[in-house]
Amino acid sequence: MSLTTAAPALQLAGLVKSFGPKVAVAGLDLVVPTGSFFGLVGPNGAGKTTTLSMATGLLRPDAGRAWVHGIDVWEHPVEAKRIIGNLADGVQLFDRLTGEQLITYTAMMFGIPRHEIAGRVADLLELMGLQEAAGTIVADYSAGMTKKIALACALVNAPRLLVLDEPFESVDPVSAANIEDVLRGYTASGGTVIVSSHSMDLVQRMCDHVAVIAEGRVLAAGTVEDVRAGQTLQERFLSLVGGRHVSEGPQWLRQS
Amino acid sequence: MVATVLRLRYRILGNTLARRPWQLVGFCIGLLWALWALVGVVAGFIALNAFQGLDVARTVAVLAGSALVLGWTIGPVLVAGTESTVDARRLAPFPLTTRQIMSALAATGLTGIPGIVTSLGALASVVLWLRWPAAAVIAVPSAALGVLICVVASRLVTTLSTGLGGHRRGREIFGTILLGVVIMTGPIITGILALLSSAGDVLGRLAQAAVVLGWTPIGAAWAVPGDAAAGDWIPAIAKFVIAAGTLAVLGLLWERALEASVSAPPRQTARTVAPGRLGFFAVMPTGGVGATWARSLTAWLRDPRYLRQLIFVPLFPVLFAFTTGIDGWLFSVSPLMVALILSIAGYADISYDGTAFASVLSTGVSGRADRWGRLLGAASVGVPAVTVVAIVTAAIAGTWTTLPAVLAAALGILLAGYGVSAVSSALLVVPVAKAGDSPFKTVPGQTFVNGLVVFLVLGVTIVLAAPALVLAIVSTVTSSAILAWIALAVAVVAGAGIILGGIVVGGRTLERTGPDLLARIKAFPS
Repeated sequence: MSLTTAAPALQLAGLVKSFGPKVAVAGLDLVVPTGSFFGLVGPNGAGKTTTLSMATGLLRPDAGRAWVHGIDVWEHPVEAKRIIGNLADGVQLFDRLTGEQLITYTAMMFGIPRHEIAGRVADLLELMGLQEAAGTIVADYSAGMTKKIALACALVNAPRLLVLDEPFESVDPVSAANIEDVLRGYTASGGTVIVSSHSMDLVQRMCDHVAVIAEGRVLAAGTVEDVRAGQTLQERFLSLVGGRHVSEGPQWLRQS
Repeated sequence: MVATVLRLRYRILGNTLARRPWQLVGFCIGLLWALWALVGVVAGFIALNAFQGLDVARTVAVLAGSALVLGWTIGPVLVAGTESTVDARRLAPFPLTTRQIMSALAATGLTGIPGIVTSLGALASVVLWLRWPAAAVIAVPSAALGVLICVVASRLVTTLSTGLGGHRRGREIFGTILLGVVIMTGPIITGILALLSSAGDVLGRLAQAAVVLGWTPIGAAWAVPGDAAAGDWIPAIAKFVIAAGTLAVLGLLWERALEASVSAPPRQTARTVAPGRLGFFAVMPTGGVGATWARSLTAWLRDPRYLRQLIFVPLFPVLFAFTTGIDGWLFSVSPLMVALILSIAGYADISYDGTAFASVLSTGVSGRADRWGRLLGAASVGVPAVTVVAIVTAAIAGTWTTLPAVLAAALGILLAGYGVSAVSSALLVVPVAKAGDSPFKTVPGQTFVNGLVVFLVLGVTIVLAAPALVLAIVSTVTSSAILAWIALAVAVVAGAGIILGGIVVGGRTLERTGPDLLARIKAFPS
């Protein structure tokens, strides 16, 4: 057990994935230290979602390995997934269930003892501000509510590693602030969070570690302070990734 | 503007067909079929004109025309999404008035293959009246009216059903009503056939029907030339007015519906249960099996895509009762058919999860637990349903003596099928209608191979159920009650064995194939 406690929360080595001729992830290495609040940033199509899918056992890599607290995700998927809380992007939920049923279902899937389930579900509904909508079918939720219920499902098994793909997309500022507090408390108590995001401000404010990825590779990784090297994360990101135009836009678009 | 929308529509059709060769093949087959049908219709009209009198021509024109209108009206409901390449919602961002959108949509309806074939067929109906020049002249605007009624009615129904699309509940009620209609179709058709055959004078009945239909919005347009040919000018004019009025009313309703669909909120919360109402999730034990069981059973009782499979439970006995009578052997073995359908209903069960299968996968539930949960969910509905059908049919037909044998055969098939499905659904996913879509929606990506696999699964099921089946047949032939009870015991014991084997093999398979199944589901055309 000493090995697993010493191992990083998430370690990715040489991950490769191509879809037909397109290489989505091209030999990606990453170490997420235990207890860190880790941001994963990159332009559209950088391979963030693909990477996180491979790290959580949802997408089989063409090559490379992934360990969660020392457990090989693809050798021992059941054991690894027990300790991961996963908010995947771009997949549906079982949205014919009510919000309350969906969290309960997820808790049951993880085998949480029956007497603990109701309490956890109530706490999560309160945390997400979804008590009013607890009895409503998830299909009738707005985009932000759906995101929050998915996040609640990712938290219900009290995972050691939380993998959140775009968790704050279309979530209102009040809920976002509440969730942020909870995640901070969670990392302070030894849990690890990895979030992917497009919002540099959010990552700079929330995260202590960050990795910038583009075209399926890590361009820079480390503590936020190290990576941004005196600039704002936004400036650093743009200089790493490139592709910024200095332009006022086409002539016809200008209103005067 | 209309021309631009038409160009866009053909552009989309071209791109779709170029990307999916099999759809192109299907498209060509459809095209050939349409041409063949058109040639047949025109030939029929010429023959009618040459060899039959005015009365037959009038009956045929009204009945065929009415059928056409009904087909266009019901079509979009039954085959949802047939004409969705260009719809009001997609045109909404462009600066077009409602009237412009209506003419663009009517034009796309007219210029699709069904529209072209309908127009040509309607125009060809002029041939019927060539012997009466005045009627032939008036047949042209009447046919045009008739075709426009078809197109506008179809568009109105599409708008109403997709307008309801925002209201999930409304659409589900719509779907449930449709389910009811489909269930009743068999009895209704057999009832009508029985009425017709008992009436004897079929032609007379049809002619009567045509006369009545000619005065209704459905058939008026198609009755005008016939009346004119017969010299009944006043009814002819009256029916022309009815047809024109129908078109105007349909147009007005459609305009209203379009405007309403834009102003209505896209989503509306319909059903909210009190917090704490967990349904099966409160009852089942915690763990992967209980969770999957509760979810699967909820789907079997709520999800229209699963409910669609349950249509067959009452359908087979009722159908055979009407066609061969309750004394027929088909009625007695209808529980077997029900068992066969229900046993393979879940042969690719994971397909119905859609990408939500990701949440199953990310919980790391064991393959065996997943198999158990799905199987128990299906069996909680299937075993009682088959048992009830067997008992009820035996009670109605008074064949209590063969009940053990029938039950043995039916349960033998059902349990074997569950075992086979536990393996096949760990290997296969097929494109299915998404949760919340019409269960009758034709989905792209269905292939010929998928169809063959169903027969393979059926074949394996029957082979595995053979011991119980053979014993059941032998016991019935020899009228041996003891053998029938042995057959029932064999069915249950062998079925349990097949299920256990299926769950072990299927569970191990699923743990290997899970991520690949998810990748395939994600790759399905949406």
